Amino acid sequence: MLLNIVHGTESGGFIVVEDTVKYSGREILKCFINAAIKRGEDVHVLGFETSEAELRAGLDSSSGQKIHFHKGHPDPLGWTCKSSVTVQQFNTPDITRLVQNTPHTKAAVLIVDSLSFILRHHQPVVICRSLQELKKVGVVKTIVGLLHSDLHLQGVVKSVCHLANAVISVAPANNEHCGVAKTTRRTKSGKLMQEEEYFDVSEDAALSVKTRTHQPGHVQTEPDKPKADPTSNLTFNLRLSKKEKEAKEKVALPFVFSQEKKSALLRPTPGTGRITYEPDAYDDFDEEDPDDDLDV
Amino acid sequence: MFPELNSILSSSPDSFRSGDFIVLSDRQADASFLIHHYLSFYLRAGCKVCFLGLVQSFSHYSAVSQRLGVSLTQAREKGQLVFLEGLKDSIGVISQEESSQSKLPLSYLRSPGAGLECLFKFVESSVSQNTENEDGEKWGPPVLLIDDLSVLLSLGVSAGAILDFTLYCQATICSELQGNIVILVRREEEDVDDEGSNLLQKGLIHQCSLALHVEGLPTGYCRDIHGQMEVWWRSREDAMYNQRKVFHYKVHDKGASFFARGTSSALL
Repeated sequence: MLLNIVHGTESGGFIVVEDTVKYSGREILKCFINAAIKRGEDVHVLGFETSEAELRAGLDSSSGQKIHFHKGHPDPLGWTCKSSVTVQQFNTPDITRLVQNTPHTKAAVLIVDSLSFILRHHQPVVICRSLQELKKVGVVKTIVGLLHSDLHLQGVVKSVCHLANAVISVAPANNEHCGVAKTTRRTKSGKLMQEEEYFDVSEDAALSVKTRTHQPGHVQTEPDKPKADPTSNLTFNLRLSKKEKEAKEKVALPFVFSQEKKSALLRPTPGTGRITYEPDAYDDFDEEDPDDDLDV
Repeated sequence: MFPELNSILSSSPDSFRSGDFIVLSDRQADASFLIHHYLSFYLRAGCKVCFLGLVQSFSHYSAVSQRLGVSLTQAREKGQLVFLEGLKDSIGVISQEESSQSKLPLSYLRSPGAGLECLFKFVESSVSQNTENEDGEKWGPPVLLIDDLSVLLSLGVSAGAILDFTLYCQATICSELQGNIVILVRREEEDVDDEGSNLLQKGLIHQCSLALHVEGLPTGYCRDIHGQMEVWWRSREDAMYNQRKVFHYKVHDKGASFFARGTSSALL
């Protein structure tokens, strides 16, 4: 499912890449850029947290014109007037203008690095509204945002994730070089799909999904080793020969009811008693209320 | 400068990676020996150093550095070291008239809500001024050291504003000038639910390329082992990417020794 979302075979919309200090999700973000360029789409990057050079590293250098880097990085708040974009410009009209300034032939992808920085400077409500409007206006086909989920209150993270069509949460796997991605996707019909996958990102920002874990918390079992037989070298005998086995099966066990035993016990013998019961006036035969003789 | 730590991090004053953002943190222990290590390390490497000493006086750092074989007074006279003495300068900021101090680096003392733009401007100008020594040679890449950043939280600056400040420093010093940053933060006890210091530390770890965390021994006080230090390589260029290793340490009069867990000389 992760591959499908990154390569855009499943419909666009808003995608959140959620990470914590334990594992950075920026590599996945790069995979999104790389995949979009390979599809021939234009990529608009709103970069506040990393420099252009750092994000471009490893990407195909010939793809230069396809990436439109809206530089927010060295000066995201406008302290030194070095940047073309400040965090104040994160609203629908400004972003629409930025995207439409460059003519494209195909649908565009907007990469936001990172939503956490924007959340530090805007109210969550404002951001959610802007994102929703951007989705509706349709200047970009896909919006991909990186969110450091451990820097915000849970409620804020959840409300941003609610807007998303897909949420990818990354975490480290036992092996340090690959990570685990838990992908939750909402289809158009509203159905939720979830999958956990191991992934690895190579130097040139290509994503490879390694093995799939089918259930959350599923532990990979090691390939079966030939099991050592503990009864192989014993000084006494634990096994039965064929003859011994037959003899053993013939023995009737003392407390097992055979058909003969049962019928012998159930046959009525002369001299056995019988119980007869005649109800008297005080007996209560009312099935409806068995307690009506009680003085309550 | 501690040679043992250098070999753990495989760096030396002659060859170290530039563009690094190093976060030092501590909890129930004192990580300031690492600040002294980095101060003497970068001065020996011939870097242009900007030091924001917010918790101790210049003479304190100077006395410790003397023991480690580096003279801060000389470095300051040569123009290699720019030292902001937070303790001394803050009185001036508080007692001065409102109008004259709007551009001072410590203006956050008066208006903590306004952000740390002035402090950043100070850092930016001090790493770009006097980039040559008296022989006309250029200093090495600029380095910013801060001891310690959590003090700003106590003074009323929000964790978000501090993270903005470090982001600007990182953009200017690490990305643009290919220099290094070393920042110390202190963490409250685990059970104290201190939103600010928690957020600050996590935010810094998101930004950094190397995190050193110092803690007391979980088993309690020990005469021969002063605590443990966790090294967390976070730079993707590193072969050790996203690996963590724990070492025990002991701080001596002139230096510190680091050893793998269980290999203290008191045990073997």
